[in-house]
This record gives sequence, C-alpha cells and structure tokens, in this order.
Amino acid sequence: MNFDFQHCIRCTVCLENCPVFRVNPDFPGPKQSGPDSQRFRFDGETSVDQWIVLCSQCKRCEVACPYGANPADIILREQLDYGRKHCRSLVNRLFSNVYLLGKLISLIAPIVNKLISIKFIRRIMIFSGISDYLVLPKYRFHTIKRSWPWKGSRKSKRRVVFFYGCYLNYNRPDIGRKIRDLFSSMGFRVVLPRQVCCGLPALGNGDSATARRMAKRNASILVKYIDKGYDVVYSCTSCGLMMTKGYQGILEIESGKKIAENTYNIHEYLLKLIDEGFLDLEFKAVEAKIAYHIPCHLRALGIGYPAVMLFKHIPGLEINVLDDSCCGLAGTYGFRKKNQETSYKLGVIASKALKETGADFIMADCGACRLQLSQLSGMPARDPAEILFDSLKSTMNL
Amino acid sequence: MNGTYDAVVIGGGMSGLTAAITLCNAGKTVSVISKGDPVCCLSTGCIDVLNGTERPLKGISELPFGHPYGFVAEDLIIEAHEHFLKIVAEGKIPYTGSIHENRQIITPLGTKKTTCLVPKTMEYSEYDGGDYVHVISFKGLKDFYPTYIMMRLENTGCSVFDAGISSTIGIAEQFEDEHFRQTFADWILRQNIPDGKITLPAVLGIRSSLSIYDDLSRRTGRIFFEIPTLPPSLPGIRLFNCLKNALIARGGQLYWGSEIASVEKLGTIIEGVTLKNPGRVARVQGKAFILATGSFISGGLFAGMDTVHETVLDLPVYYPENRKFWFKEDFFSRGHEIEKAGVEVDASFRPMADVAFKNLFLCGSIIARSEVMKYGCGHGLAIATGYAAARSCEGFIK
Repeated sequence: MNFDFQHCIRCTVCLENCPVFRVNPDFPGPKQSGPDSQRFRFDGETSVDQWIVLCSQCKRCEVACPYGANPADIILREQLDYGRKHCRSLVNRLFSNVYLLGKLISLIAPIVNKLISIKFIRRIMIFSGISDYLVLPKYRFHTIKRSWPWKGSRKSKRRVVFFYGCYLNYNRPDIGRKIRDLFSSMGFRVVLPRQVCCGLPALGNGDSATARRMAKRNASILVKYIDKGYDVVYSCTSCGLMMTKGYQGILEIESGKKIAENTYNIHEYLLKLIDEGFLDLEFKAVEAKIAYHIPCHLRALGIGYPAVMLFKHIPGLEINVLDDSCCGLAGTYGFRKKNQETSYKLGVIASKALKETGADFIMADCGACRLQLSQLSGMPARDPAEILFDSLKSTMNL
Repeated sequence: MNGTYDAVVIGGGMSGLTAAITLCNAGKTVSVISKGDPVCCLSTGCIDVLNGTERPLKGISELPFGHPYGFVAEDLIIEAHEHFLKIVAEGKIPYTGSIHENRQIITPLGTKKTTCLVPKTMEYSEYDGGDYVHVISFKGLKDFYPTYIMMRLENTGCSVFDAGISSTIGIAEQFEDEHFRQTFADWILRQNIPDGKITLPAVLGIRSSLSIYDDLSRRTGRIFFEIPTLPPSLPGIRLFNCLKNALIARGGQLYWGSEIASVEKLGTIIEGVTLKNPGRVARVQGKAFILATGSFISGGLFAGMDTVHETVLDLPVYYPENRKFWFKEDFFSRGHEIEKAGVEVDASFRPMADVAFKNLFLCGSIIARSEVMKYGCGHGLAIATGYAAARSCEGFIK
C-alpha cells in the first residue's frame, strides 16, 4: 500500500495543472481521483472509479505537487488495478502492444501506409475504437533495428547504448540514424542492441503484466552493457521517464536503480561531456526561430530543459520555450476514440500558443507531441536532435 | 546536468521568481529549483503590500524593529514594485494601483479586503456604496455563492449562466474560446441588467485574461470586475505563469518538481546542491544561492512538537521558545506568535553572522519576524525582499 496520499493537504495545485480537467467535465481531476479516493480504497471500500481511465498520465500534477503526494502515481496504480478487474477493450489490447504492432506493420510498411488512407479501412479502425482526427504516422520498412547495429571504434573511451524507442524505430528511423552518426563522429562507440518497447504504452493501457515483461527484457539487455561500462542514452522523453522512474518504481525491476543511474537524456549527456571537457564541439549557426514545446514527460524527468541549455551554444537560433500546455495526445491516449475530444481540444490550445510565437517550426523531444502539434497547427515539427545535427554536420563531416 | 550558474534560487514562489528575474535582468545565469508549484498559485493574485493602513509606505516605516521590510530602503521597495508592474505588463496581465495607496476589493463573501496592486480585471472592484452591482455566477460552480455578496452589498442583482462545466478552471478555459465569449456576451445583453457594474468570479481565462476582459467589455459595453475565488484561483495561476514565463524568456533554467537532497559546503561557501532524482545524483552548482522556500505552508520551515527547523540547509531558526506561547486562544485572531518564526538575516539578506554562509541570501517569508498574516504583506514583502536580496547577491557575484 502506498501512503503518499496522506501528504495531500488538498491545496488544488494539481487541479490547476491538470490538462484533462480543463476540458473534460467528466474527469474530477487528480486530487479527487488520486489522494481523495485513495482514502476509500484503503479499506477495501469500493470507490467510484470509472473516471480513473480518463487520466492521461502526463504527470503534470506530480511535478506541481509541493507536498509529495504523487497523484499521478496513485492514479496509475489504480488504473492498473482497474485494468486487471475489468475486461480491457480491443483498442487497449492493441495499444498495449504497440511495439509488436509496429514490428509487424514495418514488415509490410508500404502496404499498410496505403491501406490506412483508404476510407473503408479508416472506418473499421474507428469502429474498433481508434480515433480519426489525426493522420496516423507513416511506418517505415528500414527501421533502425534493420540498419547498422553499431558504429564507431571498439577502442573509444565513451561507449554508448542508444535506446531509440518505438517511434523513432518504426516511424522516424532517419532521426535515429542522425543521432547514431552524431555520436560516432564525436568519437563514441554507439551500439543499438536488440531492445523492445519501454513498456509505457502497456502501462497506459492498463496492462502491467506486458509492461513488466518488456521492462525485464530491456533491463537484462541494458544491464549487460552498463556492466561493461556503457552509458545508456535515450532521445524519447517518455521512454526515458519509464526507464529512470518507472522501472525501479511501479514495475519494481530489480536492476531499475542501476539503469536509472546510468541513463541519460541525449542533450543532458552532451552537456555533461562538454562540462567534463571530454567534448569540444564547434557549433555552426542555424538561422531559425523555434517554438520549443516542452513535453510533459521531460518536465517530469526533473533534469531541467537540457536542450535549451545546449542550444545556447548554437548561434542564430531564437528559441521560445513553452511549457504551460500539454499537447493532449499523451502517447496512445489520444488515439483512443473515447479520448478523442479531450485530446483534440488540448492539442488546439497548445498549437494556438505555438502559432502565436510566429516561429518557423515547432521543436519537441517527444514524437507523439510532434505528431499532434504539427498536424493541428500546420507548422512543421522537428526533433531537437535534428537541429543539433544541422548545426554540427559541417564541422563533423556528417 | 552538472549545471553551473551565477545564482541558484531555491524556491519558485513570488520572492524566488522575483529574485531570479532581477538577476537575469542583470545578465546573470540563473536557475530556479522548486519542489512544486508555489502558494502564489492559490493566492488571490492581488499584491498586499501592507494592509491595515491606507498608506502602505507610511505603515512600513512604522513597523516594529526587526521586520524584514526594515532591511529594504523605501526607494528600493518602490523600485521593486515598479519592476514588478513592468514584468506583469510585459506578460499581458497588467496590474492597477500604486504602492502609495491601498484599495479595497470585494471578496466572495461580500466583505471588503484591503490590498494594494490588483490585476486589471479587478480594477473596478472598489465598492463605493449605493451603485448597482450585478453578480453573475455559473451553474454548478462550487465555492462561489452570490447570496453572500448580495447579503452584504446594498443594491445588487444576480443571474446564473450555464457554461456546461462547473469548475473555475474549466470555465476559464471556455472563456479562451471566442465563440463561447460571444454566446456569453449575447446572454448578458439579454438579461436586461440595470446600469452599474457587473461582477463575476475570477474565471476570465487562464492565458489571455486581458484580451478576454477587454473583449467582453467591448461586446457588451459594460464594466466588469472579477472577484477572486477559493483555490484553484485563476488570478494566482496567471500571476505565477507570468513570472515563470518571464524567467524562461530571460534564459533562466527551471528544475521543477525537484527536491534538494543534500548541500555541498566548503567552509563558509555553499558550492552546490544535489537534487533528489530517481537514479543518478543531479548536481546544480552556483556562485551564490538564494533561499526563498517560504514559511510553514511552503515547506521552508517545519515545526516539530517544540522546535522549528529550516528544511533545506538546517539554518538556525528564531522562534518563540515555549510552545505554550506559539498560538493565541482564538484561531482566527491575527498575530499568532509562531508567525514570527524564521531565519534571522542581516541588512545584506545573509543569514546572521554565526551561521555565515557568505554566498547565501534569503528572501520572502522565511525571514524571521515577517508575520505575513498579521500585517497582510505576503506578496509585497516577497517582491521587496526578493528584489533587494537579488541586488545584494548581484553585488556579491561581481
């Protein structure tokens, strides 16, 4: 039993930060569905829990809570409990296994990409509970996994495991390759070992067993490398949050602490190496005005906004940092028909703020955020690693 | 992550953010570490400089010896508030009022509250007796009862609007939408409200309150004013977001949702702090540190059975020695002795000599004898001491 809820003084700071609560009257907010209801769950009393699934697990309440009540964590545990007690819908089952789905689809990517655009197929998808306001991302056959699994010299002092995550692997392998090439040209040995989904989508869809299975699989692979002196680097902030907080927290993976200690956000890692004097990068100017949407899970990581710090080195960049809005998609949350309205409304709010900056394009660390925001705002969206690549490519012979 | 800054501010409330922004303006690199969102978010958003008097500055000069206002020269207090007015005007939530004169606003209970600077949306809240005031509430909205106001004011009326959502935050989000505003304005015009002012709970938007307020006045041709509500309080959120975004825009780095795990000291100098992170120790180093963790409610001070201690650095705390004298008999009477608890500082806002951290500065209600509730000086003191401590810190860094 988690006793965090006893720290709650009911100050409503979590409510002020909850994106779902703002636009969905059915969700009573993190205070009521978290700490308040936990008091009833404690004695085996049944609390009214059907709205528990409306939480998108953006963790904004957790970051905001000054008393350590961790509303998001309480809700997540309850969501998993709900998932165990209730029959999970088809769409939940599908999305828990986004990884396997991606694996399958990528094999026949060109066909699936065509199929998705056919109206009849779309209708079947909507019928099975998938939302229809977004154009689904295109899948790629040439995934990162199928490309070169390592690069750089064996003798390199810095050895890095790149945890690329499902989105980069199946949908944007080009970004993954850029990151791999950046690292190798900095003199690292990069390996891209066999890895499965981090487990976050499974948790978000109420399937703790699948999540734990995936986490264990990843942990066994990553620990082997960490023991050999590798650092783990991720670019997807949600994968990162899962590996650093989720594995040792809710999933109770044995080696979770070890993984958390050796896992870095890509920009955080580069900053660290610059600080340590290991790297001396020559940044070339990138003339652009950027609206930087801070993904909720980057805030939750508690590492500050490392890309902002790193990009101060790049001349010519003008960055507007926006961290007040959640994009609303929250991974697979917005792809579920039931959450479509909430996600859409939140996406419109966030993209309006981004458009008002008058920037050339949106930058966000999270693939899901980019997908949602670029489609709803009509602006192009890029990963910070791409900007980094642009700035460094001429000096590093990329 | 091994960030090194000119100044590290611990605490992201009014005083901490004011200090951080002031230092950024002086060209220093600044980071703010905060455990969560501050009490500012729960406040009315009004700036109480010193209540219980008509002329706050005169009142300040008559405060008992040892009150932290006494460490700030009158010119500096005025300068600090002008600085504040400039920041909020830039952030598009301009404030009205002058530090030379207090004003009275109507509370949700229909009583009058003394304060000094108010957001423009509350500009017309001064009740000059006899004039007609029309109260608008929203269907299902808890914590705002027009009856209380109508009982205490003479010439009033009331109507209720159905916004389709019953939380202040939800309604505020609706007001961000132009169509909703049009519907609301049309509804107001249909109510045949007699000449006079129209008041409503503080729900006029989260991000763009000023343009919403102007838009409503334009569409209806009426004078509106907001009444601050119980938390979640929109004017408080707007104020906090404005200050936070002002800091981000000036290049300040945020470590939000991060607790301090340990402090690295070397003799009389604080070298850095480490943050409680799930895995690796995260270090933030600085040339100077500003402690703005607030009093009991913000967690800066912690009271045991007979002792009070300071939670981050374990600085010696002044407090009335015998618990018998901590509280007055009547809970609601002003001036409980325990309010005097805090860290004693010298005129440069460093802790008193026998502690002697040379690079530590304090601001806000953590300073001993501030008695914020008794004097009604919360935000005003935060602004004045935050500004002054930053000035003192700036002199030290140079």
